[in-house]
Amino acid sequence: MIIRRLKSISVSLLALLVSLVLIPGGLFWARMASVEHVSILMPAPFADASQDLVKDFNQQHRGEIQLEAIRGPLETESISDLAISSLLLGDAPFDALLMDVTWLPKYAAAGWLVPLDPWFTADDVDALAAGAREGNTYDGHLYRWPFTADMGLLYWRTDLMEEPPKSFDELVTISQSLQHRGLVPWGYVWQGRQYEGLSCVFLEVIDGFNGFWIQPDSGAIGLDQPPGVKAASWLRSLISSGVSPQAVTNFAEPEALQSFKTGDAAFMRNWPYAWAELQKADSAVRGNVGVTTMVSDHGASPTATLGSWGLALLKTSSHPEATAEAIRFLTSEESQKTLYLGYGYTPTVQALFRDPELLAVNPILPNLLQALDHTKARPETPLYAQFSDVLQRDLSGVLTADRSPPDGMGQATSTSNAILRSAGEVMP
Amino acid sequence: MIALLVPAALLLGVVFVVPLFRYAWLSGHADSVLTGLVAVPNHGANWWRLLHDARFWQDAQQTLRFAGVSVSLELLLALVIALLLDQRWRGRGAIRALSLIPWALPTTVMALGWRWIFNTPYGPLEQAAGLMGLPALNILSSPSTSWLATVLGDVWKTTPFAALILLAGLQTIPSDLYEALRLEGGGPGVCFRRITLPLLQPYIALALLFRLAQAFGVFDLIQVMTGGGPAGSTESLALYAYLNAMRFLDFGYSATVMMGSFLLLVSLCLLFWLSLQWLQRWLGRT
Repeated sequence: MIIRRLKSISVSLLALLVSLVLIPGGLFWARMASVEHVSILMPAPFADASQDLVKDFNQQHRGEIQLEAIRGPLETESISDLAISSLLLGDAPFDALLMDVTWLPKYAAAGWLVPLDPWFTADDVDALAAGAREGNTYDGHLYRWPFTADMGLLYWRTDLMEEPPKSFDELVTISQSLQHRGLVPWGYVWQGRQYEGLSCVFLEVIDGFNGFWIQPDSGAIGLDQPPGVKAASWLRSLISSGVSPQAVTNFAEPEALQSFKTGDAAFMRNWPYAWAELQKADSAVRGNVGVTTMVSDHGASPTATLGSWGLALLKTSSHPEATAEAIRFLTSEESQKTLYLGYGYTPTVQALFRDPELLAVNPILPNLLQALDHTKARPETPLYAQFSDVLQRDLSGVLTADRSPPDGMGQATSTSNAILRSAGEVMP
Repeated sequence: MIALLVPAALLLGVVFVVPLFRYAWLSGHADSVLTGLVAVPNHGANWWRLLHDARFWQDAQQTLRFAGVSVSLELLLALVIALLLDQRWRGRGAIRALSLIPWALPTTVMALGWRWIFNTPYGPLEQAAGLMGLPALNILSSPSTSWLATVLGDVWKTTPFAALILLAGLQTIPSDLYEALRLEGGGPGVCFRRITLPLLQPYIALALLFRLAQAFGVFDLIQVMTGGGPAGSTESLALYAYLNAMRFLDFGYSATVMMGSFLLLVSLCLLFWLSLQWLQRWLGRT
């Protein structure tokens, strides 16, 4: 009797135990299964910088969304190659991509992106700094939301001059006088290697001479017009007059930074990231660096080439809603503050440029905002990579003293026109 | 017998013949970002464009120059190295292993190394030139010298590969042939000309074909070292095809560039084969 009773008690205990384990377990399982996995491909430094934000996001969306930032290659074009390869295969293993500003028209035209219009309002756009509003749309749709702003800047040495130059001539005069007095071996270092950076440099100069590169709508090419030729001649004269070293024709950003950091140059053209590098302990110019907008012709306003990385939703994503949620989170004002304080990423939200907490950390914030007001996007067309490649090739020819500026720019213009013509045959 | 070849033939078919036909087909179509990545027949427009594309022909010349100069240098050096490594001397085993190191290094790593060595003004080469009181060399900043730097990078890396093939060839030559000739009173020069060279000739041809095909398709070394610059003076055909596909998203034209360089390479190999035949006959006659 007692034994049977014990038995029935133990059976019911067991049943209770089993149900105690199984029911929550099952519930947990059910929840696990409904968790949406979202992954975003980013260049490695961006993915590393986002780790804390990703953790916060996952905490807030526990059981609903599991976000992952995938570390891609460091170099801009390598990450595009990786993304394009997987998109061509049809089933990209990521939901979103952190993309450079120049890729957008190409990706959108290839049909790889989903418009972000449903998730961002006109108010969201208005909250952005002027320069950050550009380069996010194609064909009237929003395809990319800015993650960090980026623009070309002129770095100058506060220990060598009172005021930075405003015009092309001033930059040359100051450089030559400093070089003459033996204070610096070189005046101005920039990116002259045959690669995308050269197009960024050139855009600032041709705009500074009141010219234009390409007008995608009309298809007009402005390279062989007087401002284009003047721009090429000015860059070439920097080298021939010794203001820039001949080696500048093989400089990318790291080489220019290295030269400026060791105190070998009075001016440098670079992006905002260089500021933090120049304040490190191993920098010979620490505390002696100022930042301003690029020089321009007398009376013309300065131009800063728009860089900027932004998040885009890929067509292959099976969780667009959750991915958009993650994009909103990563680009929120709060997140931008975290990224700025921790990693110096330039914010895109206008209000943050006046935030006292941020201003206390970095005095150049007002200069960055000023440059953001003068940004100019590189030509927004799916054929951009071709146009840029042609310009780099012919301009590099001018700089390495192969050809005269009118000749090089004329060649670049006729090749660009040929590209436009053959595009017109495909897309009447 | 022939049945035994089927698996190998199938494999070759899948990895070589099928892609080749696919490319040939694609080269007759417009397939780019402008067509929404859909292949549309364009009746030979790609080929017409290729014939008139000055950049394709410039790149073809540059690729030929690169391949010709680097492969000749490599074979000469490889022959010397193989002859040295074939002799018996102390420490030969260690040197044989060491000489393979450049070949074992990944090209990208080594190309980055060269880029740093040639860096102006901080690279070791410029520093040495500065110490000797020479003006800045600016090797990678000038179209007339930067291609030579890429040749140097290639020679450094792939000479061991050619040396290995030639060394294997040297070891197949029976030593009694040399003994017999020496008994007849032949010196080292005669031995080299009458025995080594003729018997090594198939191996030289093999190394030549391997290296020529490889050098003709050079991509990674140039992409990392110069990116094709300055002024496009180091751009190779493979780099041009890559730019068209991955950067410009113009797969139709990229396929045409690839097919064009394939045809060039095939005719080049044919030319070499014919001249080797001729050389063989000439060697046999003297």
